[in-house]
Amino acid sequence: MNENNPVPPMIPPADRPTPPPVPPLATPPLAGNRPLGDDPAERVAIPHAFAAIEALLRHPRRLMFQLRQPGSGKLIGGMLFVALACAAVYGVVAGTFSGHEQLWAAPVKIAAGLFISATICLPSLYIFTCLSGSQARLAEVCGLLAGLLMLMTILLVGFAPVAWIFSQSTSSIAWMGFLHLVFWFVAMLFGVRFMQNGFAHTNAKSHAGLNVWVIIFLLVAVQMTTALRPILGRSDTFFPTEKQFFLAHWADCLKQQDGENNARGRN
Amino acid sequence: MSAQTHRFSLSEISVLLRGETQAIAEWSARWDARRFTLHIGVIILGAGLYGAAMGWWRAPQQGLYVAIKFPLIILLTTFGNALINGMLAPLLGLNIPFRQSFSVIVMSHAITAAILGAFSPLIIFLIWNAPPLTTGAAGAPAYSLIILAHVAVIALAGVTGNLRLLQLLQTIGGSRAVARRVMLAWLWGNLFLGSQLSWIMRPFIGSPDLPVQLFREHAMRGSFYEAVFHALQRIFLFH
Repeated sequence: MNENNPVPPMIPPADRPTPPPVPPLATPPLAGNRPLGDDPAERVAIPHAFAAIEALLRHPRRLMFQLRQPGSGKLIGGMLFVALACAAVYGVVAGTFSGHEQLWAAPVKIAAGLFISATICLPSLYIFTCLSGSQARLAEVCGLLAGLLMLMTILLVGFAPVAWIFSQSTSSIAWMGFLHLVFWFVAMLFGVRFMQNGFAHTNAKSHAGLNVWVIIFLLVAVQMTTALRPILGRSDTFFPTEKQFFLAHWADCLKQQDGENNARGRN
Repeated sequence: MSAQTHRFSLSEISVLLRGETQAIAEWSARWDARRFTLHIGVIILGAGLYGAAMGWWRAPQQGLYVAIKFPLIILLTTFGNALINGMLAPLLGLNIPFRQSFSVIVMSHAITAAILGAFSPLIIFLIWNAPPLTTGAAGAPAYSLIILAHVAVIALAGVTGNLRLLQLLQTIGGSRAVARRVMLAWLWGNLFLGSQLSWIMRPFIGSPDLPVQLFREHAMRGSFYEAVFHALQRIFLFH
């Protein structure tokens, strides 16, 4: 471009042999660019739910490959069952904060809330994947969503001992709510990463649609915790009597907490 | 216990402390109940001795209590986070079995505890030279010196244990970036739970104005993070 370029062209001296051309440093192929099933280990069928957990954590490509095979419905069913069971286990731990009826109400609400959120968001997920150019079938989309839910909930079970310690130590609903949200958010990050890796094999041209869907799912799930409240605290009724958006509910919780702290400070 | 077992134990500790990652990586790949017991023993002994030294300034009974609580915090943190740590390792790129991730964390805590145990005579000497912990001692230079000594020793032990863990993870996984990622994730989790367990199991040094207790009366009331939050609120919002 610049004709006054001061750097002379690299011409090898005539008296020295020309070295063989050096190929450019090859970038190692991304895991997502290798076709699924190119490793024979990925083609091994997943016989049961425990094997699905193992595959999800250690060999996610095996799970992605199996989700594309005909008859993957049984595998998806198993994954959803694991997600349901894990959500219930985490719900019991969340319920120990208040005890009493929350020991059964919290697991029911958490498991139901997660599954209702996923069901509500499934059509939009399918639409967004189609819009992004993905060739994924509906069954495969369902499978990847089941993978997201399963990974999220097994990670939540991993966080459960920590959540239990805090449940027994604090009486602050605001703090416990915040902690559960942090755990939920971390678990969701890993779940979304699995889903994005899965969609990378479906010829999707961009992740933009999926990223928009993640925000929608996040908002729906957070609103679900408000719609099904109380999950941590106690109430006379199973469902709330007043409708609220989650931000207004959180603001109320913080105000209530502040009032309690001030009252404690005066005493 | 035979002399052979004794020799085996001592050599294991020195290999751990030297950070001979090839040997330690091989240990971690195979489950060995005797080795695991040894590492747990090092944690109990090392952290227990340091805890005894820490509490002894207030009263010998306080020393006994802290000798129990200090290793308990390390062990409860290890076991409490075992599941999530085992899941995070493969998710962050280090595809090792659950048992191996648990094993390497126990080893890193054993290194930390061994260092703490080695420093316990120095802490005892420091306390022996300090004036007794009486009312008003909190403002004295000796109190500040002892607190700073604890901070320095615990930080040294913790940093060394984690550096050894990083080297070990790099040897096992072959990638420095992955090893750093996994180590940081584990470190955050352990700090998060460990801080709360320490809060529940207070006091450690003890206070001359309060009785010697295993746990405070309201040990399970509130959390470490709420206390930090309220302290920040008082500082910045003048509540």
